[in-house]
Amino acid sequence: MAAVTVDSLIQNPTLLFRSKSKVLLKPSRSLECSRNRKLLLSRSSCFCGFKIKPRQTSLVVRASSSETALIDNFDTSSTDDVLYKETFPVNRIEKVEGKIFIRLDQSKNQQDWQLTVGCSLPGKWILHWGVSYIGDSGSEWDQPPKNMRPPGSIPIRDYAIDTPLNKPSKGDMFHEVKIDFNPSNEIAAIHFVLKDEETGAWYQHRGRDFKVPLVDYLEDDGNTVGAKRGFGVWSGALHQFSNVLLKAEASPADSPNNNNNESKDSKNKNRHLEGFYEELSIVKEVSVGNLVSVAVRKSLETSKLVLHLETDVPGNVVVHWGICRDDAKRWEIPAAPYPPETTLFKNKALRTLLQPKATGNRSGALFTLDEEVFGFLFVLKLDDNTWLKFEENDFYVPLSGASSVLGQHGQSESTSEEISSNSYTDGIINEIRNLVSGLSSEKTQKTQTKEAQESILQEIEQLAAEAYSIFRSSIATFPEEDVAETDTDTTKPTVKISSGTGSGFEILCQGFNWESHKSGRWYMELQEKASEISSLGFTVIWLPPPTESVSPEGYMPKDLYNLNSRYGTIDELKELVKSLHKVGLKVLGDVVLNHRCAHFKNQNGIWNIFGGRLNWDDRAVVADDPHFQGRGNKSSGDNFHAAPNIDHSQEFVRKDLKEWLGWLREEIGYDGWRLDFVRGFWGGYVKDYLDASEPYFAVGEYWDSLSYTYGEMDHNQDAHRQRIIDWINATNGTAGAFDVTTKGILHSALERCEYWRLSDQKGKPPGVVGWWPSRAVTFIENHDTGSTQGHWRFPGGKEMQGYAYILTHPGTPAVFYDHIFSHYRSEIAALISIRNRNQIHCRSMVKIVKAERDVYAAIIDEKVVMKIGPGYYEPPSDGPQRWSVALEGKDYKVWETS
Amino acid sequence: MEVSVMSSSQAKICKTELGCRDLRSCFGKANDQNKMFSRKPNTVSFDSQISRLRKAGLRFTVKAVDSEPILEAKSSTSSKSHNRSRLFVGLPLDVVSDGTTVNQARAIAAGLKALKLLGVEGVELPVWWGVVENEEMGNYNWSGYLAVAEMVQKAGLKLHVSLCFHASSELKIPLPKWVMKIGESQSSIFFTDRSGQHYQGCLSLAVDDLAVLDGKTPIQVYQDFCENFKSAFSPFISSTITGISMGLGPDGELRYPSHHKPAKSGTTIGVGEFQCYDTNMLNLLKQYAEAKGNPLWGLGGPHDAPTYDQPTNSNNFFNEHGGSWGSPYGDFFLSWYSSELVSHGNRLLSLASSVFGDSKVDVYGKVPLMHSWYKTRAHPSELTAGFYNTASRDGYEAVAEIFARNSCKIILPGMDLSDEHQPHDSFSSPELLLAQIQTTCNKHKVKVAGQNLASGVPGGLEQIKKNMLGENPIDLFTYQRMGAHFFSPEHFPSFTEFVRSLNQPELHPDDMPSEELSERN
Repeated sequence: MAAVTVDSLIQNPTLLFRSKSKVLLKPSRSLECSRNRKLLLSRSSCFCGFKIKPRQTSLVVRASSSETALIDNFDTSSTDDVLYKETFPVNRIEKVEGKIFIRLDQSKNQQDWQLTVGCSLPGKWILHWGVSYIGDSGSEWDQPPKNMRPPGSIPIRDYAIDTPLNKPSKGDMFHEVKIDFNPSNEIAAIHFVLKDEETGAWYQHRGRDFKVPLVDYLEDDGNTVGAKRGFGVWSGALHQFSNVLLKAEASPADSPNNNNNESKDSKNKNRHLEGFYEELSIVKEVSVGNLVSVAVRKSLETSKLVLHLETDVPGNVVVHWGICRDDAKRWEIPAAPYPPETTLFKNKALRTLLQPKATGNRSGALFTLDEEVFGFLFVLKLDDNTWLKFEENDFYVPLSGASSVLGQHGQSESTSEEISSNSYTDGIINEIRNLVSGLSSEKTQKTQTKEAQESILQEIEQLAAEAYSIFRSSIATFPEEDVAETDTDTTKPTVKISSGTGSGFEILCQGFNWESHKSGRWYMELQEKASEISSLGFTVIWLPPPTESVSPEGYMPKDLYNLNSRYGTIDELKELVKSLHKVGLKVLGDVVLNHRCAHFKNQNGIWNIFGGRLNWDDRAVVADDPHFQGRGNKSSGDNFHAAPNIDHSQEFVRKDLKEWLGWLREEIGYDGWRLDFVRGFWGGYVKDYLDASEPYFAVGEYWDSLSYTYGEMDHNQDAHRQRIIDWINATNGTAGAFDVTTKGILHSALERCEYWRLSDQKGKPPGVVGWWPSRAVTFIENHDTGSTQGHWRFPGGKEMQGYAYILTHPGTPAVFYDHIFSHYRSEIAALISIRNRNQIHCRSMVKIVKAERDVYAAIIDEKVVMKIGPGYYEPPSDGPQRWSVALEGKDYKVWETS
Repeated sequence: MEVSVMSSSQAKICKTELGCRDLRSCFGKANDQNKMFSRKPNTVSFDSQISRLRKAGLRFTVKAVDSEPILEAKSSTSSKSHNRSRLFVGLPLDVVSDGTTVNQARAIAAGLKALKLLGVEGVELPVWWGVVENEEMGNYNWSGYLAVAEMVQKAGLKLHVSLCFHASSELKIPLPKWVMKIGESQSSIFFTDRSGQHYQGCLSLAVDDLAVLDGKTPIQVYQDFCENFKSAFSPFISSTITGISMGLGPDGELRYPSHHKPAKSGTTIGVGEFQCYDTNMLNLLKQYAEAKGNPLWGLGGPHDAPTYDQPTNSNNFFNEHGGSWGSPYGDFFLSWYSSELVSHGNRLLSLASSVFGDSKVDVYGKVPLMHSWYKTRAHPSELTAGFYNTASRDGYEAVAEIFARNSCKIILPGMDLSDEHQPHDSFSSPELLLAQIQTTCNKHKVKVAGQNLASGVPGGLEQIKKNMLGENPIDLFTYQRMGAHFFSPEHFPSFTEFVRSLNQPELHPDDMPSEELSERN
């Protein structure tokens, strides 16, 4: 049967049905039903049991075709005196109603039959379907026979097929798919659900799949036994079907029993397959992107500010607005005059109805404001329940100092940044509140509770740290004396440097591998690469352990003050650090504090007496490792069995180590530390060392095993990351830690094509980076896991997927030397440059939009979209942001806003 | 006919967990999960939680669950009979210093959020006379403080306002400019010591009812200030603002500035000096002496009292045995000196209760903890400060009485001090003094609120906890004070621990009734 538009079907259904000489499964009554239904549906979709779950990442339709049109409109008149200009994107949810239709009829050759499923709404529709065969018990699906699958079908494992819906021809407004089948195929029923790829929404039938029973239509099923069996199945199937399709309707004589009986009757009389046509309403929620443009000019005659607001949001739009007089953004009502159609709302705000513009579907208003006004606040009100805000906040137009604008862009950017950071904290607070309200009562979720409590405490700690840094930086001020200082505090967000995060924008380069000691001149070799490493966009470089060591790689230190190692001499090291500093790199020293190799044996012949400048005796060695007969206290952590573990609880040990770190800072010029094997001692001591040595950046290696069950890595690695977080906590956040959890999960996800692992139960990244991003140093390989040791090598050939993940995500990414100087170099450089260009930092917000079997995709800070995995993902093409491909490689792709 | 739409997250669950085999059952499951974990429809999940809790036999108020996170939620379920302790934290003293700007607003905002999450009830805001009414009499600038109040309200915290009619030397917040100007020509408005030195940190109590301020008495000026405050903050009073402290003297405390000269470091705290040498005080003394029939006693203060940082025995007045304090003259002088302070306190408290009496706020006044030399018989520190409290006389009776009379509550600072941490030779006992004052207050049914002297006192938090939850439980404690040290890694974690530990015994998830388990599914 040729394509028929939905409309013509509706208008002329009888025609359609009459053309068949067969008795209808649901006689003409079904036609009336559909009419009735249509009326009902249009009145209230709820009545019919529609369930619409708004998705966070709903499809974004750009309503205005040209982004700049709004501004240009009033910009061209006098460009030079525009003091402020900004276009805010806003999203609103619009409900679009449409139809799904299902048609079963006989194809022209009278042999085969055809099932047509269509949808009148725009979208990337996929029919996810399968069949059940006669004799199947249970409700499982099976793959349909190959000849049944329309072109473009993709098998999903062994039970289903994904077939895209297409427009029958270009001009058509609807999509459909046709499935041809031969009734002799022993197929009992076709099952399907409809999926919109764009939004990820699934359309089901009251929570179940659609089921089109076929078995009883089989004309050639003359076999009585078969008929009987078929009948049985059919009866059940119909029951279900009617349940599904008809139950809720008040249309005449649609009780399932009734129907059932009748069809039994008809069945008994006419044993042949019958065509039918059904039509179902669907409602899709689409997010529509609109723009709000604001421009501020100074009127030369009146020396007042004129604020022009315009939007392409359709309908009657009311601006709910006020002004503020300081940074606190307290709403106030300005003095008159107000624009026309302005009313006062509860003495708190003004409401102005925007006037439609002559051109286009826009409306706008002009506001005249006094020069002293600090800022203009507003939200848009579409109807009583619909408010449009700017990223959950009031729209804010800064006017202070508008007369001395530095540059439109600088101004607006900093504002929006501030807003978003505010909304960030607010968001967290709200989230925590919700968690808390849950936590105080959700007793059965004990672990949940603890986790929540943990995260609340972390948030409290972060807030406290923020407060601390501000309080500390500004001495108690007095207005007459320090006006300037107060000003800078309120207007310029200070970049916080903390040893746990550096500036927050750090990218780490591991500047060596397991072989680096072999040449004996690594410091010199690296020096030659300094400018190259810096130009790739790294900000911090991690150098190998510098001390004299029993093992050539440096991790078995002996005399801590002897910095002549297999990597070079102390002078070469100083030179190297100097030249690294010159090219703007901060330098991390790899310090091994957990253990130290002894110089001498004790009276029992055990190596536990130290020499050199720190000539400790066996009191500096922990007592609980029998190999080394230490006389210190028990270890505050795990033991590393190859060398005496140092007892950090000893005052003299700590004092010496602090002095040593201070000396390294001074003498060599290290800016910070990579702390080896911090599992070996309490994080509180690390805090002590960091407080004393005041590094710019510090990261600890807390490496232990992930959880596995029967050899399969568990999806939930919360316990693993919790241990790392506990350590960071013990250091009081003064150090970050390598995100071993993320590495482990990436291993499984990539190796086994289980990309769903990359989202935890709360839709956050599953590693440390999901819980405490600012302290997570993400990495995919280091000298131990990879290089020539390969203790835990990243899945081969998939390294770039790993880097596409960590270099676009929050946390502080670390790149391994071997990868930098490999064929991946240009791709890594490109990723770093995307990161830097978009100012992604360790606290960036990541929104996971897909975590499925074969594809993971996320949006970071609304600035970068990335996907990894072989599966398909494209960012919304018509949302507020225009995404353009920034980098594409094997199984990964990164977009940024253009 | 119906079609339901479900979001892909649910579909994902189906797909990954069950391979789409049985959408029906897994859809149901997904739905349930959704209900349990959904954040958005707060009210829905909320109600169900509440009802579960009711069934579990717990008394939760909606408010408790909703907005008062850790502390309140826990303590409200307390089965103990004692009242819940409310914890406040003082805002920085200079949170507003020019009348308009909120200093370090971002830090304050972050701090408020942190406190709220921690479950702290509210914050204390010092409002300075010298900031608000700085330029001229009757010209008040509340804007900065109003902004703070709004921030506090927004953060969902309560506010306790301390009206400071004193100056802060370390913050360089003096008394109002116009008052200081009057003081230049009329130094007798200030307290004066024996050597003639003026204390410019507050007005002498002797001028309370003298029209020394451009024709108005200080009491009138304070009253105008309070009334103006009341009207300016009317939107907050009794909702956000739940308490007001009336400034009563130096550092807001009811006392003479007897110890205003800081002790040299390393030395023990001296006994302080009597402050009765401004002309108005001397006049009062003279009148009193004449009324008592001993005009010669009214010519000046005790001649044999030690100076500020001298120990008790360095002169005769406070000697343990045979000191003048025990003589009829001593009794005469100390009775007068302390009664002047009590009368002053009564004037200000009755002023405060007349202004704020009709509002739903508690009015407080602060009484100092003059604990040094408490273990001597004479209690010289208390005597110079104006409390006639000795080994044989309860000087706090009269004080508690005026608080009771004016329905005011007492704030006692120094609840972080423990005897253990006092220097051995100081004869100091903060704990005994505290216990004495509390006993006297209990007798007069005056509620006591607590405060610490400073954050970072060794053993301070433990001591506070002991005081809050001890025999005389404190229903309100104000922890001093937000600032760099407060949020520092040295301090904040222990404070967090402290807040949590206040309520620790009371509800542990593991101790909850288990019937909910079965109800859940």
